[in-house]
Amino acid sequence: MYPQKLDKIINLFEMLPEDERRETLVSYADNAKKQEPREGENFDLVDVRKDEECMDTVGVYLHVDEDGKAQIRMTLGPEVLTLTRSMTAILCKGLEGSTPQEILDLASDFVTRIVGAELVRIRSQTIYYVLTRIKSVCKVYLDRQRMAQVARDVRLISFTVRAGADAAE
Amino acid sequence: MERFIPPILFCTDVPLGHQPAAARLTASATPKCDSRNTRISVLNLKLDHQIGCQHVSTKAISIPMATHPTQYAHPEALVETDWLEKHLNDEGVRIVESNEDILLYDTGHIPGAVHIDWRADLQDPVIRDYISPEKFARLCSRYGITPETTCIFYGDKANWWACYALWAFRLFGHEKVKILNGGRDKWKAEQRPMTREVPKYPETNYPVPKKRFDKEIRAFFDEALEQSKSDKPLIDVRSPGEYKGEITHMPEYPQEGVLRGGHIPGAKSMPWKTATNEDATFKPADELAKIYLDQCGVKPGTDTVVYCRIGERSSHTWFVLTYLLGLENVRNYDGSWTEWGNKVGAPIEKSA
Repeated sequence: MYPQKLDKIINLFEMLPEDERRETLVSYADNAKKQEPREGENFDLVDVRKDEECMDTVGVYLHVDEDGKAQIRMTLGPEVLTLTRSMTAILCKGLEGSTPQEILDLASDFVTRIVGAELVRIRSQTIYYVLTRIKSVCKVYLDRQRMAQVARDVRLISFTVRAGADAAE
Repeated sequence: MERFIPPILFCTDVPLGHQPAAARLTASATPKCDSRNTRISVLNLKLDHQIGCQHVSTKAISIPMATHPTQYAHPEALVETDWLEKHLNDEGVRIVESNEDILLYDTGHIPGAVHIDWRADLQDPVIRDYISPEKFARLCSRYGITPETTCIFYGDKANWWACYALWAFRLFGHEKVKILNGGRDKWKAEQRPMTREVPKYPETNYPVPKKRFDKEIRAFFDEALEQSKSDKPLIDVRSPGEYKGEITHMPEYPQEGVLRGGHIPGAKSMPWKTATNEDATFKPADELAKIYLDQCGVKPGTDTVVYCRIGERSSHTWFVLTYLLGLENVRNYDGSWTEWGNKVGAPIEKSA
């Protein structure tokens, strides 16, 4: 199962003939810039870097609201391939409102359903890279949440132990 | 040391605005150096009517040779952005975009340009090889190309794939080929017109090429091995890290499935980019001669093989050697490192 918004996008692409699929991908690529962080937005995690296997810098910005729902913003350097731009816009829109855990659990098999087998080539593997980067930010976020929870639990236990000891005295 | 001096074409009375001006000539016979390599004669110059240079002296000339060429051997193989913008609608010209970024053409291209996808259009879908002559004829016909059409190739990545497509066209014997100097990046940087409109041309009936010129411009594994064993010029145009065997993928690219790193024994390292300026245009002829003749030991009359990873970067160098320096017998080993690095028993050298 995919997140609802992403599922809709996948279904849309699967219905399109090849030429319209390309047009729609280009249209998403055109909109990739709209996924950049906006003024006044705050983020729980920011990860901006240029990796060896990607042509330019990719930035991932994660905000998780009070209900645990994620919002992802991304920045892309000018050398990033068009298909990667498309996938960036698709993922930012499609994963909006999912939890970090849902994103982390997402299988990558939907990529070919969106892009089509013809456009997925060895040199266009960076479309998977965007998903990997988003997932890695979600993983760090969840790990930190868990660590914070453990720290809270430890504090609670030591408080309880101390309180018990005080009561015994 | 005997030096090869690429033929210098000399053009008089060329209309202004044709830059590189002397480029509008084609030589119908291969220019010949005399035995002492001190003078060069260019015979039977003729006009290339497709690109409009109309006032050229066609007399035979003989001019002294310099230590290094000051002009490209085949300047007619390049067109400049300024010239192209003024000739977008010329009859007998077809502009062809070929990119690494497979959707880049769809985001905007030079008005009138058609798109050739290096994999979907030029490569066989099953066997690792190029399309058949029948498919090539269909491809050209679809884009309104005839054997007389001058195809001007351009693309991203400083024309890697444009040179690859040009090389593939030569493989099928299409002779009228040119590169847009500086490629897509220069065109865009100069804010020249772009469109998303996909042009339609009346379909032609391109004759099925009788042969593919594999033997002339393409090297296979055995030939590259022979080149290595006989100590003839082999140029590895990949990045230094790939040549040394430190990495098995191109920097900034995903792994393309190579098991071992290194280079073909005896190959000289000369990354493709050495031939270009910052704006993706080609370096001047004398600089190119220093790079390839002096530093790589390439000699005229000797077979030269160039390779990279899958044959696209080496197409760029093949174009430089063949068209800009005028060397004959240059072949592109398109199997390149993705074949050599995986081949059982293929010797590999790892060195600094």
